[in-house]
Amino acid sequence: MNFSDQNRFINNVRKALGRSPGHKSSLQEIFSIKTVDESRELYEKIKTRTSTQRQKLLSRLINESKTVNLNVICLKNATSVSTSIAGLVREKEPEWGSRKSLTAWEHPLIEKLKLTEVLADRNVPVFCSKLRNNKEAVRDRNTEKMQIRKHVIDSYIGVTSADFCIADTATLVMKTRPGQGRLVSIVPSIHIAVIELKQILGNLKELFILLQHDPKEKSEGLTNCMTFISGPSKTADIEATLVHGAHGPREVYLYVITGR
Amino acid sequence: MSQITTEKYKDEAKRAIKNPVLQDALSNLQERLGKGAVEAYKNLPEGHRLRIEAHDIRMNAIENLDVLLKSLAENVRRNGGHVYFAEDALSAVSHCLEIARKHNVKTAVKGKSMLTEEIGLNRSLEAAGIEVVETDLGEYIVQLAGEHPSHIIAPAIHKTRKEIGKLFSEKLLIHYTDDPPALTRAARKALRDKFLAADMGISGCNLACAETGHITTVSNEGNIRMSTTLPKVHVAFMGMERVVAGLNDYDVLFRLLPRAAAAQNMATYISYIGGPCHKDQVDGPEEFHLIIIDNGRTKILADEEFREILCCIRCAACLNVCPVYRKIGGHSYGYPYCGPVGSVVTPLLVGINRAKDLCLGEMLCGACKEVCPVNIDIPKMLLGLRAKLADGDRKWNVTRASLVEKALYKTWSWLIRNRWTYDLFLRLAYFSQKFLPQKGGMIRRLPPPLHGWTGKRDILPISIETFKQRAKRINLNP
Ligand code: SF4
Repeated sequence: MNFSDQNRFINNVRKALGRSPGHKSSLQEIFSIKTVDESRELYEKIKTRTSTQRQKLLSRLINESKTVNLNVICLKNATSVSTSIAGLVREKEPEWGSRKSLTAWEHPLIEKLKLTEVLADRNVPVFCSKLRNNKEAVRDRNTEKMQIRKHVIDSYIGVTSADFCIADTATLVMKTRPGQGRLVSIVPSIHIAVIELKQILGNLKELFILLQHDPKEKSEGLTNCMTFISGPSKTADIEATLVHGAHGPREVYLYVITGR
Repeated sequence: MSQITTEKYKDEAKRAIKNPVLQDALSNLQERLGKGAVEAYKNLPEGHRLRIEAHDIRMNAIENLDVLLKSLAENVRRNGGHVYFAEDALSAVSHCLEIARKHNVKTAVKGKSMLTEEIGLNRSLEAAGIEVVETDLGEYIVQLAGEHPSHIIAPAIHKTRKEIGKLFSEKLLIHYTDDPPALTRAARKALRDKFLAADMGISGCNLACAETGHITTVSNEGNIRMSTTLPKVHVAFMGMERVVAGLNDYDVLFRLLPRAAAAQNMATYISYIGGPCHKDQVDGPEEFHLIIIDNGRTKILADEEFREILCCIRCAACLNVCPVYRKIGGHSYGYPYCGPVGSVVTPLLVGINRAKDLCLGEMLCGACKEVCPVNIDIPKMLLGLRAKLADGDRKWNVTRASLVEKALYKTWSWLIRNRWTYDLFLRLAYFSQKFLPQKGGMIRRLPPPLHGWTGKRDILPISIETFKQRAKRINLNP
């Protein structure tokens, strides 16, 4: 690492800003001073939402999802979600090959769906974006990673959960963790996300409040990749005509498990 | 370095105005996006106030850039990424080449980045035998056609669907079609193979977060996510001003950016990327490199008159409302940055004399300031640049654009500050205008050096009755 480049560069910046030689300031001092009380208050509000309030957020989400072409499907429990996903698998055809397969995250909510069993009789394999932890696998991580990559590329549907969903903009927020690959939500032609009602937030501000005040979120950080997804991939680069499915998924389905 | 053709501004502008297809495309774009942005702002609970807040956030970052850059670099390294500081285009490009050589890169896939246009990255990589594929659909089209982008976020706005259809049938060997969904599908297929084969992913950086050590990327197509996840190396290029202090700042900025850029409430994909794949994760690049670039920006930072332009988040909203851009299109500006923002940034980066037509060509209507999500006072800076051209400026190495013009204005200013000389001048002008060609009571042509005024229009002759006399007469006989 060449720190002399960095020092010279930053010194030029300091000079340009007219800093005096002894000038010191820290990042903390620079943070745009917003009232801490206000964000604490909002944090409490998010944490103590009643189920009626959550239902309201859900209606807002459903409303907003139309603008971004996101399909929101609300169901009572995991079983009805997997039945519905099985329906999608039956109805939708693969874009690139002829064989149907899925890749899913390793996630408690997804495990509850028992997709492998549900789709077994249709002969549709469900792969998991998870590294095995036995000895040989650890020795040969690369081969295993290539294997998973291949599965994702071959899959026409990717199944994930999400950390949050923002009602105001119909935005899924997902961090990156072991077993929860980044490719699953971008490479397959169809992206299915499954969340619970309590994961819905009001707006972007609430998300940033949680990331900064919630002890769990704070200690985990943003991870090495935190992605926001609002609907399917789209472009308007040819004569400003809107087309869905530029490079990412052409369709996105969001299942919300409402629990009643 | 990118090619600079700012000297051809007038010729290119004339050409653009005569191109009816381009004229249609540009007005179409402005009707949709320009007006759309203004509408989208209206739906914000804070209304236009939010733009002022965004300005403060960005200005706060710019004025503390030294601290922010240092924290950013520390935090990116803590996350396992590499950081380089490049003073100019050449050193930025050579850092990238070195990384490419180390990994024996054959193919690189790229997300859209104006900065890489500025530093001429593609040409250098290609010269080193690396295939560089632009993956934003518009950029891809422009690259296939061997052209340059003509808009910051809609790079191929100057091309018709028919032209694109012809281009694709030649280059992608598909049957001719001019149907946008079919053309998009063809590009999707061709680029998918590139994504899967590429060994390097290149992206820009929208706004990095100093507090956490992440860069952010924004796209609707998903090409940046593919480019930054599939290849084994990710190299991100960042203009040194594209950073904010902390997570708190994004709420405001990311609510404004998609509205300004595309009249959307939210972009389809926004990613915070900090560092390479961890050992226990299944995908993502093995290495992450961030190249932070000056290339003339500290000079802008040092001048308080122009420092504000560094707040720019390259949303292109100002292009979408500018009456000059609407007529002359992006190519006339002769550098990757066009429209109002380009008319300020380009002269500051490539030389004020060299790019003088850009700031002289804009008409100071103020539409750009009204729509700018970070409320940059572009008209004020255009005036500042013009003042430098009129008087010359040592710091910016500006020579006076026209001595004759300066002399004329000096004389004029002296003349009108003295009642007696002014009256005498009017008298003289009144008598001598009789020798000028006239038609229908109007003067057709003025002699040099004033002939520019009558190049495209006739002007009224000077009246024998002065304003004062007239006022008196009207007051006496109401
Ligand atoms: S000057 Fe303002 S409106 Fe223009 S591109 Fe920059 S941020 Fe957008």
